[in-house]
Amino acid sequence: MMAWLHPGVVIALGGLAIPWIPWRRVRQVYFLVLPLMGLVILGLTSWGFFGFSISQSKVQVPFSIPFLGYSLQPVRIHALSLLFGYVYVIAAFCMNLYALGVKNDWEHTAAMIYVGSALGAVFAGDLFTLFFCLEIMSWAPFFLLLFRGTKKAMGAALRYVLWHHFSGVCILFGILIHVHATGSLAFGPLPWGYGKDFLGSHLILFGFIINAATAPFHAWLADSYSEASPSGSVYMTAYTTKTAVFCLIVAFSGVKLLMWAGVISAVFSVFMAVLENDGRRLLSYHIVSQVGYMVCGVGIGTAMAINGAAAHAFCHIIYKALLYMGVGCPLLVVGTAKFHRLGGLYRYMPIAFWLTIIGGLSISAFPLFSGFVSKTMTIEAAERIHQPLVYLMLEGASIGTFLHTGLKLPWNIWLQEREEPPPEIRARLKDSAVNSPVHMLGAMGILAFLCVFIGIYPKILYAMLPYPVEFVPYTFTRVFSLTQMFIFTFLGFWVLRKLIKGHAGFVLDTDWPLRIAGGRLIRFCSGPLKALGAFLDRRVTQAASWTVAAFRKPLVEAALTPRFVGAGMLAAIVLFVLFVVRNL
Amino acid sequence: MHWLRIYPKRTLWRLYWGVLVLSLILDALALYAHAFHYHFKFQYTLEFFALFGFFGCMLLILIAKGIGLFIVKEEDYYQRRAPQENGVQ
Repeated sequence: MMAWLHPGVVIALGGLAIPWIPWRRVRQVYFLVLPLMGLVILGLTSWGFFGFSISQSKVQVPFSIPFLGYSLQPVRIHALSLLFGYVYVIAAFCMNLYALGVKNDWEHTAAMIYVGSALGAVFAGDLFTLFFCLEIMSWAPFFLLLFRGTKKAMGAALRYVLWHHFSGVCILFGILIHVHATGSLAFGPLPWGYGKDFLGSHLILFGFIINAATAPFHAWLADSYSEASPSGSVYMTAYTTKTAVFCLIVAFSGVKLLMWAGVISAVFSVFMAVLENDGRRLLSYHIVSQVGYMVCGVGIGTAMAINGAAAHAFCHIIYKALLYMGVGCPLLVVGTAKFHRLGGLYRYMPIAFWLTIIGGLSISAFPLFSGFVSKTMTIEAAERIHQPLVYLMLEGASIGTFLHTGLKLPWNIWLQEREEPPPEIRARLKDSAVNSPVHMLGAMGILAFLCVFIGIYPKILYAMLPYPVEFVPYTFTRVFSLTQMFIFTFLGFWVLRKLIKGHAGFVLDTDWPLRIAGGRLIRFCSGPLKALGAFLDRRVTQAASWTVAAFRKPLVEAALTPRFVGAGMLAAIVLFVLFVVRNL
Repeated sequence: MHWLRIYPKRTLWRLYWGVLVLSLILDALALYAHAFHYHFKFQYTLEFFALFGFFGCMLLILIAKGIGLFIVKEEDYYQRRAPQENGVQ
């Protein structure tokens, strides 16, 4: 009997069946039930149904499999993995509800495999299982991108796979070196230091950092998330980066390098977001920024910081899915999320607007919303280790977050001081307050409720964190200061609102040298290299035909008797043997 | 649902200005009453968070716009630089 039913396996294998169900309604219900089954399994696990209890600092390994002289632990359950597991399945349910209208069933399958492999990664007990799941995670979104069907999306899909295979290769080599050095395959805290003894850890960390989209290795994120299909991109926001954060928490908590990497990425991407014109690219930069907070928390490494990182990952998945869904509404209905083509949509999509505002307030850590109870924990951890610079940069990044996600994004899409959207956009809208499908608004409603609920009642979230929580989010000092800061951020926004209006354009990112070099390489291959190949080909054919012609001459042909050829062969073999023997 | 489609502009603005002025006054009062508990000295500066929010926001936009002069390109930048050669036929 199996000791534990793996929700990832249930969801991924269950997802494979979706396209084969002939009735549309049954298919939709099945699609919604899949993540719920995962939720039920996780609930039963917490409840003790599988015969073990989960508490803080307690690790459960239901079974292990012998493999090539190592023992694999495909499942290891602890408080942190359960926390991530819960938010993965809850988010997956809402995302499935949002994606219910998608006609292409294979997109659902790809999404479910993606969710399942992410669950596999957070419950992995050894590095081999982890690597296996991460590899599936690098392939599944490839299809979410491809199913968008545009040429740009195909390019982005290829670049996505290239980035993730590079990080995968780094992780694989790191694991091989680590296993060779230590003989242990366990996925736990890895040794850290500077010098060549720690090469394995360095490579694994590098791979995780690329997966977590930490600056300057974040460019793949904005590039690919903005090109996926409206519902596909919602899936992509949640799993890849947060799984990487989970891996960092498990393997590298307390590595000071990560603190600075996280802070820099939190601030850097906020600057990039000012220039963005595309709603989904703007939100992508804010994923980079928010994941920066988590990476910073991992780097600080105190119990409070790790709690903050984990809690923030939980809240982040929920509000970021909500925000992507909000931008997905105009994208799906009018076909664009570019600011310079939108504005004045409020009359036609007020519900989507208010729900997006809730997401925006959550991400910027406004009191009473979910970001407030998690982000401030990381910031407080930075204050407690007396790092004023880290504190100021994190707080500054949160100004930028509010400025863009809470103000710039909704203002540019829904308002822009216009009563009506531009005529070509207006033509695609019905004269109603509900222009987007109801199931999409329902999914957003659930997520928005969770954002507010966690913000008001954080106790449930705090009870699930890996360390005991001794942090009180709602103090007079913090609530007052942050509220005041945001009120004045709004004033600054209003003064300069003309400056951050959308203009058609494309913002170059740190992948510029790679993309230019890649373009040059392909141009070199298709131009000079191909010509060289053709030239060599011609020459070889020419030489061959000359040789043939030379042997076809009657004089030569007469001399080539079988005995002559045989003697020649024998002489060649003898000479070769002599050559080998002499050189031995 | 029609009430939803009208955006309550004026009321919100009045509320906003009210809260803005109120927060400034409250901040000063609370600071003199020693009601705040911060970790760093600079946080005790008068109206620190108001100034930080306002100027941080402005600086962010202005600096980013400055950087933008160099890195904002036309929309089909990569497509134009590498026609048919971005890996997709």
